[in-house]
Amino acid sequence: MCGIFGYIGEKRAAPLVLAGLQRLEYRGYDSFGLAVLDRDLWVWKKEGRISRQSPEVSRRRGRTAIGHTRWATHGEPSDANAHPHTDCKGSIAIVHNGIIENYASLRRELSSRGHAFRSETDTEAIVHLIEEQYHGDLLSAVMAVLPRLEGSYALLAIAEGYEGIVAARQGSPLVIGISDRACIAASDVTALLDHTDRVVYLEDGDVATLLPSGPALWHGGEPVRRPVQKVDWAVEEVRLGGFAHYMLKEIYEQPSVFSTTARALLAEDVPDVLKDVSGITLVACGTSYKASLLCQYLVEEYCSIPVRAEIASEFRYHAPPGDDLVVAVTQSGETADTLSALKRARMHNHATLAVTNVLGSSATRLADHTLFMRAGPEISVAATKSFVAELAVFLYIADVLSGGRLRSSILSGHEAIGEALLQDLSPAVELCRDASSLFFVGRGPFFPLALEGALKMKEITYIHAEGYAAGEIKHGPFALLSQGTPVVALCPPGESFPAMVSNIREMKARGVPLVVMGDGESQELRDIADVLVPLPDGDTVSAVLAATVLLQLLAYHTAVALGRDVDKPRNLAKSVTVE
Amino acid sequence: MQAVILAAGEGKRLRPLTRSRPKALIPIGNVPIIDYVIEALLACGIRDIIVVAGYRREQVISHLNSAGYPVRVVVQDRPLGTAHALVQAREHISERFLVLPGDNYIDSESIARVMDTKDAVLVKDHPYPSNFGVVEIRRGYVTRIVEKPEQAPGFTISTGIFSLGPDFFDFIGQPDLTDAVSAFLGSGRKLKAVRALDWQDAIYPWDLLPMNRLLIRRGRAEKAGEIAPGTVLQGHVRVGAGTRVHPGCTVIGPAVIGPGCEIGPNACIMPNTSLGSRVQVGPFSLVGDSIILDDAVIGPHSLVRDAVIGEGSRLEDHVSTVTAAPLLEIGDEQVKGRFGAIVGEKVRIGPFSTLRAAIVGNGVVVRGGREVTSTAAIGDGGLVI
Repeated sequence: MCGIFGYIGEKRAAPLVLAGLQRLEYRGYDSFGLAVLDRDLWVWKKEGRISRQSPEVSRRRGRTAIGHTRWATHGEPSDANAHPHTDCKGSIAIVHNGIIENYASLRRELSSRGHAFRSETDTEAIVHLIEEQYHGDLLSAVMAVLPRLEGSYALLAIAEGYEGIVAARQGSPLVIGISDRACIAASDVTALLDHTDRVVYLEDGDVATLLPSGPALWHGGEPVRRPVQKVDWAVEEVRLGGFAHYMLKEIYEQPSVFSTTARALLAEDVPDVLKDVSGITLVACGTSYKASLLCQYLVEEYCSIPVRAEIASEFRYHAPPGDDLVVAVTQSGETADTLSALKRARMHNHATLAVTNVLGSSATRLADHTLFMRAGPEISVAATKSFVAELAVFLYIADVLSGGRLRSSILSGHEAIGEALLQDLSPAVELCRDASSLFFVGRGPFFPLALEGALKMKEITYIHAEGYAAGEIKHGPFALLSQGTPVVALCPPGESFPAMVSNIREMKARGVPLVVMGDGESQELRDIADVLVPLPDGDTVSAVLAATVLLQLLAYHTAVALGRDVDKPRNLAKSVTVE
Repeated sequence: MQAVILAAGEGKRLRPLTRSRPKALIPIGNVPIIDYVIEALLACGIRDIIVVAGYRREQVISHLNSAGYPVRVVVQDRPLGTAHALVQAREHISERFLVLPGDNYIDSESIARVMDTKDAVLVKDHPYPSNFGVVEIRRGYVTRIVEKPEQAPGFTISTGIFSLGPDFFDFIGQPDLTDAVSAFLGSGRKLKAVRALDWQDAIYPWDLLPMNRLLIRRGRAEKAGEIAPGTVLQGHVRVGAGTRVHPGCTVIGPAVIGPGCEIGPNACIMPNTSLGSRVQVGPFSLVGDSIILDDAVIGPHSLVRDAVIGEGSRLEDHVSTVTAAPLLEIGDEQVKGRFGAIVGEKVRIGPFSTLRAAIVGNGVVVRGGREVTSTAAIGDGGLVI
């Protein structure tokens, strides 16, 4: 997904375009760029997130500009691949959202006619096609080119010697806003609301010219009128798409995030760094560290390869880990501690692998190879879908290293997640919401999940929460347990079940309120638990995925019950770029 | 022009198919019913669309988000009727608007017919009017509306699609929309009856099958995925990306096969079949006139006809459905339906079992070699030993 924004009017356009792109950042934020038309065309592109305070941009006087914010799924984000793209002479610029399916043949054709391509994008073919048709009338040039394009697009074009922005839409969203002496185009309404509440929605096949006085529309070569509509939408409302919080929205994206990530990796060739692995060291922070601990259990269980998970900021205080493959796990790809661990691993000549959500981020440039988690932009500070995407990547690694033993579990993983989303957690929330302290316990792969459950709980509800290996409780923490400290216990069927049952029985005897996640049919658990939350039938992998989601929902609903600001917990930031 | 789509109700009479989603999200030809409604509105240029979600609202919202529709969602917290659902959207209503059920099919031509008239309702003749709001019409205007009457006064029913003004809210007192319409008519206001062209509703699970037959041709034919040489693809067939049709298969359209499916080898997909995402149909199996939802597995040597198979259910090898037309008790009504099997979510049917016009609840396990008939409809979570 990408976002585009264009402005033509009486004000300086460049800062307005940057502000508009910032509104669209939820559609992607790994690179961005803009083109400003004064007498000449000026193009400025940058990798990374949009920053509004750029003196270069604010100096620009032009009153016409177009911009683009990108979320790369193919082709890394780089200055070359960022939009706008320009023709050979640098006098036409376009921004484009969508996919041109026949771009490879267009590119061959254009190259053979002497056009020089500077990027790997499909978009660049469009601008060279326009270049061949442009003789002062950009509208007819664009109209001549559109029939050649197969696929989807929303695009904006500007050119030296032409007054106005030309817009076209086929299959990707594009809205035009009409204000008093300006005309604005954007991928969605939210970016227009700073300027106007009067909008025109383009239909597929529409072409428009934008002037400060307003837009003119064409369809199939004929002028056409579209109704001007008034919107009274609140920006946040639109971007949340109906959910109360980004966190909940992202929790519900997890079935598709999991299967998209896992299936995309399974369709790729196995990377060289995953051949002949004798040991793995994972470095990560926060939630990614909890996922790494889980990876340790999974890989060791299915592949008999020793794995250790290290907190990235502690990595430098340990001896370099032998001949291990070093895997850096960071959602943003920019986490400072993880990056410095990765640099250190390279210094010691380790093979390195990055697991990240942001293609082209610093981690991907440092590592030998990257496994990409296709979670899409994560807005909520509390990580949810990126954790599940990391699990998908780790399950893929375990599958590769075990010769395919996890394949069927991976392919059905989204079902367990979907099933967990249907559970009603309100009795468990009732039990947790008034506590001043909570404990989460589990064994085996469910121990890191207990840590993650506690982390989610404390970061968004501000209730003190601790995760423990269930067997460790009696070595100290038991002194803290009482009727006022509920325990969330992960008791899936399997090897660890009898030991877990005896652990929670002891707690029960002290009157500790118990939320148990396990086999819903088990009479034993029903007798012990105050609230029994059923995990779906199936193997360890489906239990892990389901429990992950249930713990997220428990934290979320508890935070909502307590009236917390779920998406922006106090004192926390999304990506920690300082050590 | 604004539009309010009511998608808050579960659609209880479609159980067991509504466990994880409301009726509005049940796919027909692999497209959720609500999508047909939204597409019809967009085709008429109506962009300001408000969806009222309630039962399993997160599923509704996630779906609308991933489909990328420009709609707003409001929530009805508790199931307190259709009029109450409409009231949830009131604060966003500033001009004339349409009200539409999100769980009935409607075509854009019908919407175009009704949208230009203030205070109008789309009506349609129906052979079994007693399941709907029956309308009496005089000189083109509705004089009376009776919800689900024992004795229907005629065959013309309300589709539940109204074109109204904001003043309509003054007539809402009772929980149901029909009561508000009655109050509206009782005050002497006029409601124009406009004939709908194509409108369809599924009341009971087996009604989804004829609806599937009618709508399955809507999408364009396309052949993505890997189709092995030597397979026969005939008629209007759509095959999704990443799907593999193995050698020796026959697919006769109209048929829709979603993405990520595995078909065959040597399997037959007969006309009027919709297979969702990641469905597996084993070797030597035949599936026809059926809706198979996401992640379901049809084992080898099976015969599935006139069936709806719920998400993630697994039929082992040599499972057969037998089509019959039993008299069934649904709630406190006795109804007749013709079908092979209605199977809920996450069901396991053992090898060599037969389903004879059977309704099988969610999560049911049927051991091998059993016969399940309509006389013994099984509730959720049951076990047939």
